[in-house]
Amino acid sequence: MLRSNRFVLTLFVIFLLTFGAFYLHITNGSFDMSVWDVIKTLLRIDPNPKHDLVIFDFRLPRIVIAMLIGIGLGIAGTVMQGVTRNGLADPGILGINAGAGASIVLFLLLFQMKAKHITDGSWTSTMMMPIFGFVGGALAAALILIFSRKNGRMDMQRLILTGISINSGFGALSMYISLKMNPQDFEMAAVWMVGSIYNANWVFVLSMLPWIVILSVIIYRKAHLLDYFQLEEGTVTSLGISVEKEKIILILCSVGLISACVSVSGSIGFIGLMAPHIARSLVGLRHRLIMPVSAGVGMFLLIISDYISKTVFEPSELPVGIVVSIIGIPYFLYLLVKSKA
Amino acid sequence: MSTKKTNWIPITMLVISPFFILLAIVISVLYGTKDISALTAWQAITEFDPNNVDHNIIAGSRIPRVVAALLVGAFLAVAGAIMQGITRNYLASPSIMGVNDGSAFVITLAIVFFPGLSNYQMIILSMVGSALGAGLVFGFGSVIRNGLSPVRLAIIGTVIGTFLSSIASAIALFNQVSQTVSIWYNAKLHAVDVDMLRVAIPFGIIGLLLALFTSKSVTVASLGEDIAIGLGQRTKWVKALSILAVVFLTGTSVALVGKIAFVGLVIPHIVRFIVGVDYRYIIPCSAVVGSIFLAFCDIISRFINYPFETPIGIVTAVIGVPFFLYLIRTKGGEKSA
Repeated sequence: MLRSNRFVLTLFVIFLLTFGAFYLHITNGSFDMSVWDVIKTLLRIDPNPKHDLVIFDFRLPRIVIAMLIGIGLGIAGTVMQGVTRNGLADPGILGINAGAGASIVLFLLLFQMKAKHITDGSWTSTMMMPIFGFVGGALAAALILIFSRKNGRMDMQRLILTGISINSGFGALSMYISLKMNPQDFEMAAVWMVGSIYNANWVFVLSMLPWIVILSVIIYRKAHLLDYFQLEEGTVTSLGISVEKEKIILILCSVGLISACVSVSGSIGFIGLMAPHIARSLVGLRHRLIMPVSAGVGMFLLIISDYISKTVFEPSELPVGIVVSIIGIPYFLYLLVKSKA
Repeated sequence: MSTKKTNWIPITMLVISPFFILLAIVISVLYGTKDISALTAWQAITEFDPNNVDHNIIAGSRIPRVVAALLVGAFLAVAGAIMQGITRNYLASPSIMGVNDGSAFVITLAIVFFPGLSNYQMIILSMVGSALGAGLVFGFGSVIRNGLSPVRLAIIGTVIGTFLSSIASAIALFNQVSQTVSIWYNAKLHAVDVDMLRVAIPFGIIGLLLALFTSKSVTVASLGEDIAIGLGQRTKWVKALSILAVVFLTGTSVALVGKIAFVGLVIPHIVRFIVGVDYRYIIPCSAVVGSIFLAFCDIISRFINYPFETPIGIVTAVIGVPFFLYLIRTKGGEKSA
């Protein structure tokens, strides 16, 4: 009873914070707007084409994408940490981002799609991007599974180490592929690989929305399994759960989430690491509760980071991935200092 | 472990290495985007004609390039060997421990805030950066429980490296010097600066000499702190001197060609596998093997995407990553963590 009250309260606070971030993001920028302007534009009262352009073509898609990516990374991070039973696991550190990124860069090269004018490119190719990303991400996940197993169990140390090497391997691959692009696309690819969402538009939103919605629901329905995985392996099997199968389903679902995110924004690390930790310290150990909170925290963090990335260095933009790692790494080090073992 | 018996192996390596180094030099000088005949190349050295394009290519680009590759290969491999010996950590290497990133970080600051520094100053700043990166990583490593174990140190190194390079790219983007900075960041061996090379050589040589000087103590240190103290070694001095050597070697390397990953990790392992555990052999052998490895990687990098150059970092990663995975598979796991 007490716990569920706390859960509701936490979600409410996160909602308020996200709303605050949303407010900051939509009213501020190189073109400041009053709240009243924003409301009028959204509710179509006395529309002003200039305001329409800023809100509907620039700020709103960007915020929506930041929200979706935050949710995706928050959930994917929770799954990775739950499945590996390792609080340091993160899609970025494990190299899944890099794997998805490399195959998306390959996709961009093969289809000669101008990353800059993605709206001019065909819709189908934008929709295909997450699928391509999924192949690369799944490949990275498979490599991790193969190399981190020891006597049939996943070994924590190997997991992290494999991640580090997969990261640099796929990073080199992306760099090699991107060098084959023409200079203009290369520059875009470089910014995109650091993690950036400033070229957001509604086509991207559409391309990632189904992935986020469907996979989040599937994962949430399986969230209670993550609680069991924290127990000893033998105990779980005796409960009649086919551990390996469920783990692989969960991992593949989160690779799908990550790929959808990476296909739009490039590699954004550390959200998947931080959000679950914050969520766990807020609502305890049950994954049914952790997961929505982690999604909410991810959402808030990404909107606020994106806000920082667009305003701090105005008029130039900082890729949001850089903001996230400048915020996230001190927190990560704090976790390491605090952790026992 | 009978090192006496196997003395001939490292000595053979050192004796035959000049042949491979020569081979690398010859291939490197003669082949590239423009094929140049051996005779022309020889004339470029003996009777240089400033109006001859081929001569200029040889003297101004190909020779400095192969010299830089040989030197940087040796520097990074030796730095890696020392770090692995001192920390007793099989993952220690300049790229993983944030040393490269520290160097690149300080160089970014220098490019932004003090443009137009001389090559001397750049190299010294690069060394300051190496020291900063190493200091941060080791500092955190010693604060955190088990922080100096291979895995934790690798994580800390990667994370601090990412942090430093994130801040550096933020500063660079803000000041709109990203392109200038990326010349330092991304290993561009083919664009090596001849003046910088001239300035860098003495610093690197000092580093190598320091490394050779401490090699015996590194062997003792690699047996473990307790044994080293038991054998009467002044461990603090050994650590300080060898870290100084690492700072000289990696600082010079980054100033010359940027961040090159994996050489410092992979080469010492291969060498240790062949010559055993005595650092008096490991360090010189790492130097020659590293030279030859990087020079050949450089040659490969010219032909992967012919006629365009491929950054050498890609070639070393392609060779280094599978090896790293192999190390994890055979050596990784709880025991060494």
